[in-house]
Amino acid sequence: MSSLAVPLPGAEAHLHPRPSALSFQGVTHRYGSRVALDGLDLEVAQGEVLALLGPNGAGKSTTISALLGLIRPQEGRIEVLGSDPRRSVADGRVGAMLQSGSGIGLPPGVRVDEALGLVRRLYRRPAPHHQIVERADIGALLRRRTDRLSGGQAQRVRFAIAIAGDPEVVFLDEPTSAMDVESRQGFWRMMRDFGNEGRTVLFATHHLAEADEIADRVVVLNRGRVVADGPGATLKAAVATRRLRFVTDRPDPSELSEIDGVTEFNVCGTGVLIDSLDADATIRDLVRRGVPFRDLEITGAGLEQAFVALTGCGTADRVLKAVTPPSASVGTVGRDVW
Amino acid sequence: MTNVTVVPPSQSDHRSVRNTDDPTRRDGLRSRLTPLLSFCRFEVGRLLRSWKFLAITVGFPVIFYILFLGDHTAGKVVDGTVPWRVYLMVSMCSFGALVAALNAGGTRLSMERASGWARQLRITPIPAWSYVATKVVASMLMVLPVIILVEAVGAGFGGVRLAPTTWMGLTVLLWATSLPFAVLGVFIGFLVTPEAAFPVVTGLMFVLGYFGGLFNPVDQMPGSLQFIAHLMPNYHQVSLALASVDGHTLALSHWLILAGYVVVLGLAIAWKHRLEEARGLA
Repeated sequence: MSSLAVPLPGAEAHLHPRPSALSFQGVTHRYGSRVALDGLDLEVAQGEVLALLGPNGAGKSTTISALLGLIRPQEGRIEVLGSDPRRSVADGRVGAMLQSGSGIGLPPGVRVDEALGLVRRLYRRPAPHHQIVERADIGALLRRRTDRLSGGQAQRVRFAIAIAGDPEVVFLDEPTSAMDVESRQGFWRMMRDFGNEGRTVLFATHHLAEADEIADRVVVLNRGRVVADGPGATLKAAVATRRLRFVTDRPDPSELSEIDGVTEFNVCGTGVLIDSLDADATIRDLVRRGVPFRDLEITGAGLEQAFVALTGCGTADRVLKAVTPPSASVGTVGRDVW
Repeated sequence: MTNVTVVPPSQSDHRSVRNTDDPTRRDGLRSRLTPLLSFCRFEVGRLLRSWKFLAITVGFPVIFYILFLGDHTAGKVVDGTVPWRVYLMVSMCSFGALVAALNAGGTRLSMERASGWARQLRITPIPAWSYVATKVVASMLMVLPVIILVEAVGAGFGGVRLAPTTWMGLTVLLWATSLPFAVLGVFIGFLVTPEAAFPVVTGLMFVLGYFGGLFNPVDQMPGSLQFIAHLMPNYHQVSLALASVDGHTLALSHWLILAGYVVVLGLAIAWKHRLEEARGLA
């Protein structure tokens, strides 16, 4: 089982064996008084498929806007493919599918092939037309008008437009939010294939299942900071975390740390707070050791709780690092956390 | 870290995933201009295909010209010398240009921005200013046929007779002096939501048209209204156009005021763009 809070030596090197495609160094961005990114540090290697996971308002869209140069954060440094984000966009090395707000993100009153044709002509070295059509599976939609597409079809067209410039890096902001389950699966298959060509893909989602299934690496954002970073499997283990609270007269830290399943504990006076990967085992062990606990309370920790709680109660901020072997990270189905 | 096979491109070769043998590859100045021309063509094509847009832009000025050119206006003159049918033709050209530009820019741009398409274009390699420039150019290209059509109605239905060179000069002048409307349309598109765009555009059309003296000559307005009229771009456009028809000098003050509109509205667009960027809405 993985250690939850302790970054192992070498974890960093293991994560970034390839040149950096995206880099955030101490990036802070405020909208008025609201802090959207709070000293964000993040490195993404070339060819990595990374999921940005987090609740609404965690800073996912702001991160993507900053990577595209649509906003200029007040502090810190961002590089995309070794250059300023705007430079990379101007050089046609970046593609993106943004959240479309009230509309579908496509120009009304034109056919799909016209919109795609226009975007291709805006790049110096676009991907071949047939390749885009095939990748995004829009062959049957080319003659259709953009305002007569279903939600899933529109998203496929938007994906086609995102990859029209044959980009090295692609950002997708909650691309499947308007799709049914079937379109979702097709969409992610498409995107996974795209990532397999050695391109860097960063997508925002609030579905752990998607993040875990598709991404090599999952970064959990909350309040503009990275609260967890690792393969999906590690995060799923964290979802299994249960939080136990009880009161005991003589809490013994050295004993608490040895109890089965415990990953983290905190003692405040006679109150004890334990995070456990196996609540049953923890309780059995507490009983076996004769720890005189009372007022026991067990709460399931969602991802948000599991990681955000780690940063609370006087403990230092912690970042979960990737330490699990690659075995279980792809193909398993997690559950939606938010 | 992952069990998915990824072939990492090496650092020196990081563009290797791209299609380098693409026949559409272009270089030099052409490669910078071609995207903008494509974008313009795309925009004009969209506008031409929108029958509602065409009906409004062409319909209003032509209908007004026919309505206001009743038999009772036969001997009517404006400013002492200009026949009413000529004055009305120039006015309706100005009105048509205003309607075309406000609808092409304002309503449609506002919708396009709300739909997310404008943002999608911003993350393509074309520079941010070129989006605004293309919208202005597309509006201007829509204005020209409206001016020519109203002139044709003036010549055919209204019986306006001018020398060929005067027609040419008048057309070019009316077209060039429509630039403030094109910029105004784009500014409205940047400023208002799609819901607000229609009333704002319609209101501006009639306020600028009325106070600019398009329906009712400025010299027949009360003094206080004349003062307002002298601030309206349409008044200066029409004044220049009438001067060109009569072979008078084209007063610099008219040009300066029209240019002032272009500069102020252009700065206003830039300001709105900056503001959105700071708020992360751009």
